[in-house]
Amino acid sequence: MSKLVLKNVAKRYGAFEAVADFSLELAKGEFVSLLGPSGCGKTTTLRMIAGFMPPSSGSIEMDGKQISSASGVVPPEHRRMSMIFQSYAIWPNMTVGENVGFGLQIRKLSRAEIDRRVDKILDVVQMRNLKGRYPAELSGGQQQRVALARAIVVEPEVLLLDEPLSNLDANLREEMRFEIRRLHDEFKITTVYVTHDQSEAMVTSDRIVVMNKGKVEQIDAPHVLYGRPKSRFVAGFIGRTNFLEGALQGGEVRFDGFGAAAAALEGATGGGNLLYSLRPQAIGLSSEKPGGPGLAIEAEIVDRSYLGEYWDYQVRPQGGTKPLRVSTAPTVVFEVGSRVWLEIAPSAMVRVE
Amino acid sequence: MKRLGSLVLAMAVALAFLPLAARADLNALTEAAKKEGELTWYVAHYTSEGAEDLGRGFTEMYGIKVNVVRTTAQVAYQRLLQDIKNNQTNCDVFSSTDLGHYARLKADGRLDKFVPENMSKISPVFQNFDPDGFFQTTAAGMVVITYNTNKVKAEDAPKKWEDLLDIKWKGKVSTGHPGFSGYVGTWVLSMKKLYGWQYFDKLEKNKPQIGRSINDTVTALNAGERQVAAGSDGSTLFSAARGNPLAVVYPSDGAVLIISPSAIMKGTKHPNAAKLFMEYLYTIEAAKISAKHFLIPLRPEVPSPPGAKPISEIKVIRPTVTEVEKGIPEVIEQWRDTFGN
Amino acid sequence: MPVRPVRASRFDSSWLLWIAIIAVLLFLVVSPFVYLVITSFQTERTGEFTLANYATAYGRARYVDALVNSLKLGAVSALLASVFAVPLAWAVARTNMPGRGLTRMLVLATFITPPYTGAVAWILLAGPNAGWLNRFYMMATGAEAGPFNIYSFTGLAVVIALYSFPYIFIFTTAALELVSSEMEDAANILGAGPWRTMRKVTLPLALPAILGGMIICFLEAIALFGSPALIAIPARFNVVTTQLFQFFGNPVRVEVAAAYAMPLLGVTILLVLVQRLIVRRKGFVALTGKGGERRPILLGRWRWVVFGYAMFVAALAVFLPYIFLIHSAFAKAWGRGFLLDNITIANFRFILFEHATAAQSVINSFVYGGISATIAVFLTLGVAYIVARRLIPFGGVLGFLCVAPFVIPGVVLAIGFYAAYAPPPLALYGTALIMILAFTTRFLPVGYVNASAAINSLNPEMEEAVRVLGGSRLTALRRVVAPLLKRNMMGAWLLIFIPATRELSAAIFLYGPNTKVASVMIFDMSEEGNFERLAALALVLQVLTLPLLWIGQKALGRDFMLRRNAT
Repeated sequence: MSKLVLKNVAKRYGAFEAVADFSLELAKGEFVSLLGPSGCGKTTTLRMIAGFMPPSSGSIEMDGKQISSASGVVPPEHRRMSMIFQSYAIWPNMTVGENVGFGLQIRKLSRAEIDRRVDKILDVVQMRNLKGRYPAELSGGQQQRVALARAIVVEPEVLLLDEPLSNLDANLREEMRFEIRRLHDEFKITTVYVTHDQSEAMVTSDRIVVMNKGKVEQIDAPHVLYGRPKSRFVAGFIGRTNFLEGALQGGEVRFDGFGAAAAALEGATGGGNLLYSLRPQAIGLSSEKPGGPGLAIEAEIVDRSYLGEYWDYQVRPQGGTKPLRVSTAPTVVFEVGSRVWLEIAPSAMVRVE
Repeated sequence: MKRLGSLVLAMAVALAFLPLAARADLNALTEAAKKEGELTWYVAHYTSEGAEDLGRGFTEMYGIKVNVVRTTAQVAYQRLLQDIKNNQTNCDVFSSTDLGHYARLKADGRLDKFVPENMSKISPVFQNFDPDGFFQTTAAGMVVITYNTNKVKAEDAPKKWEDLLDIKWKGKVSTGHPGFSGYVGTWVLSMKKLYGWQYFDKLEKNKPQIGRSINDTVTALNAGERQVAAGSDGSTLFSAARGNPLAVVYPSDGAVLIISPSAIMKGTKHPNAAKLFMEYLYTIEAAKISAKHFLIPLRPEVPSPPGAKPISEIKVIRPTVTEVEKGIPEVIEQWRDTFGN
Repeated sequence: MPVRPVRASRFDSSWLLWIAIIAVLLFLVVSPFVYLVITSFQTERTGEFTLANYATAYGRARYVDALVNSLKLGAVSALLASVFAVPLAWAVARTNMPGRGLTRMLVLATFITPPYTGAVAWILLAGPNAGWLNRFYMMATGAEAGPFNIYSFTGLAVVIALYSFPYIFIFTTAALELVSSEMEDAANILGAGPWRTMRKVTLPLALPAILGGMIICFLEAIALFGSPALIAIPARFNVVTTQLFQFFGNPVRVEVAAAYAMPLLGVTILLVLVQRLIVRRKGFVALTGKGGERRPILLGRWRWVVFGYAMFVAALAVFLPYIFLIHSAFAKAWGRGFLLDNITIANFRFILFEHATAAQSVINSFVYGGISATIAVFLTLGVAYIVARRLIPFGGVLGFLCVAPFVIPGVVLAIGFYAAYAPPPLALYGTALIMILAFTTRFLPVGYVNASAAINSLNPEMEEAVRVLGGSRLTALRRVVAPLLKRNMMGAWLLIFIPATRELSAAIFLYGPNTKVASVMIFDMSEEGNFERLAALALVLQVLTLPLLWIGQKALGRDFMLRRNAT
């Protein structure tokens, strides 16, 4: 049985639809991210799951029992969930130990049991030595760990995270991503994670829900999302990509400056414009004409940037107007203006709407 | 006077047979009063100091606390009317200097009838002020001309009320306000009776400083703020006795005698304490405190305060109860029209 | 962990608390107001509808004059107050005048001096014949009479202005502290000198705030009872508040008083709206920019001139009044001057030990003030919370009710309370409760402004974190919100408590013989002109306030009473 089920959940404010027809099932122990730009409705969805707001329509069920619908909502304190907030919401009037132990206290555990569990979880997040400190004395990362410990120690049915890393600096953010995943692997808590950062979502999640303007664009595992985006929005939002517009002419699809056999391309049917996404790293770049089975296109380097980990080239196919972005290893060097060959496997071109 | 004399004689005879019974009654009253423990006294007689002294005297004698609420007559009455309007009996004993208050309260049935046992012991002129026994005289004083002896020589001081209108006192006269003080109200009424309202039209030209209580004139003179005033003999002489440069003149056209009654309010929560307090006001101890504050002592045994003329040597005027009842509210309005507030 | 029954319901036990808060607000704010209006249209005793009260209230030239006097008084006082306040505010906020901290302290000392205490001090200073200033003048010049007369319209206006100018000071410094030096630099670069810059740039930017403060002064002046009662009666003119007091006289005409209070209420509401409009519209939009540092303007030699002016104002408001108050409190007779044989502690002994009710009245003031402040702080915290967290529909109405008493002058509020709760069924006349409730209502706005600022500074996620972990909203309030707002609440408590211990305008209509407060006691003592004792009592009241002020400054910063939300 699914742990958490959202059925056609929607949230409207007057005419404005913050979340439209959202459906999702989480298996027990699954880690799902809600990913999208700000204002896409992901936080609203999370707050509906938490019970802070009622849905305008649709329903939410946990363990088969309805906990939210337009007609009524089990208040957050009765949902046995826990949540990590953007601001961490560490209570500055309590010590680290008191913060972490709070939920256990509410659950009326004995003092000794509370102490034991708090110590254990603080060990897990490596904060045991700071148990008696007040939050004002902690760094951002340490506060984040306290928030994690506080949320996990109560062994919630569902753990909700609302952009928990957005207030940290870049290095710490990367470290904490892995930390969150590690804790999930250790405790196997069903988790919903809201973020606007695709790499966060990809590192942590079993599945990602990409949202845009209140609507679900795609729900898939991270590698599927990247490799097989279903919409222009998803392809653009997850990683960098080239959008190629083509039109079917006979057995061939004509793109800007080159063509490909329709049979080799996915979904090359019907009239009108066909839109394809092609990742920059899926394009090969060489000075000699490649001999592989893919397309070989003669082109010119228009511009380039060096980003340390890779080269980012702007390459215009001969006869084309718009350049394509191509990423190569840092060792593959071409001067601007030089003639090169592009190698594209038609299977790497993904048809998007 | 003859009638009064025979009355006193009859009383004395009666008293010779009564003392034991009366004392027994008084003892029972004291016991009952002590159980009540306290009383509240709205009082406009005396200065605050005098009122506090009298209250403390009662407490020392019987161990019963007196909540002294000393204010001007009209403010005390205003309080009382509000109490009545709201069905509250905060006040147990009401002592105003405006006789009219008693006439109205009596007519409205707001007073408890009570004739103190001790009444027979006070000077006969003050006895039986209300024939029906609803209120009793408990203090007497006079409105006289007062002046600051540092600024005004005795021979230059005004001799009669009309002298206050002399232009030479312009900016130097002080009075209280009839809208607050019962003494002042009675004085204004008497002046109106004697000289008509023109008296005050003329007084207004002298730009008097108008305080609220009649006792405010004492402060105004002491501070040198004003030089002459229509003040009360008691508070002025009391202050003079403490070394302040004050003196009084008993005006040749008549010092205004103020008979100030007290009454027990109907529905009082401390009826016995109230009665005992009324009895107390007629004791020698209370009379001594009155004399100390230069009020006319009600008990003949207590000598008049030093420097005050005995009442028999003074030309005294005073309006009747009926005149006061109707007259004071009228003169308050007239005063406000003339003096601006 | 016990598995709670999962039920889908919107009901939450905290609703009971919200409903209780709404009920209390209706009781404190709405009902007295409604009673006031109804009473003004009722015949005494029968309660039939009538317009006669209005006819009576405005039927005499004297009554109408009082109304006009009040408006004139308000205008003159507000103007005078701005003359005192604006230069000081500018000097303290923007210049290198020496003694800026001292000046602030002296403004604070002015602010915590009750207006009636100031009025008494000024009677000692500027009584036409015996006032010290006049005596010094006569001594110095040999003249027959001195130039000052406190018992005049001007005298009253000056005294009111002297003790209300801190409002303008607070508003103006708050605004000036937001004007960045860059704005002034921009004017300098275009060729304007420092004075021109001040006139053309700085002051116009602060003007809305100055006007806002002046309106508050105006309202304060027309609503004041104590100072006019002390000065206008001997000066022989009436203002609205003293006239209202007369309608409470003999006979008691609450109905007429209610009718007579209406213009005061109307003017106040109107001006508060205007004030909000001015301050909001021009002032703060222009001033919210945080950018830019603020450098003091260097005044050069002029700084001593400005300092001199600051000390002059301080002398009028603080030094002179307190010197002569202290002198009187220790004098046998204040008119006798500074002589050794004139010194006594009898006045203190009298009010503290011999007077039956004076000491009790001080205790009453502190007890009522304390209870009122406590109720107001918790109540407004609750309301601010409801409003900030949108817990009920139309919560904004509750917020409005909390600030609404701001537009009800104390005297009018008292008449409303009197009309509503003095008679049966509640029969609160003369009880401590009616005083406490009236004080609470009077100071709700102060509490609310502070509470809502505090709540808005609190991230709602703090409470949500409690709730997801299984705590109820009330748990969140108790365990997180209240502890976090402790300081703010204490600040608000003091901001209510201190003025509540001096409140006179409402108390004078509501006290009973056993519920007399110190302010009323002082007023009663003034009837007989007992300035020595009165000064002693006023000083006792001031001295008792000092430790509280000290605590407030320790916990909340030196300026906690001189901030915008203090008014």
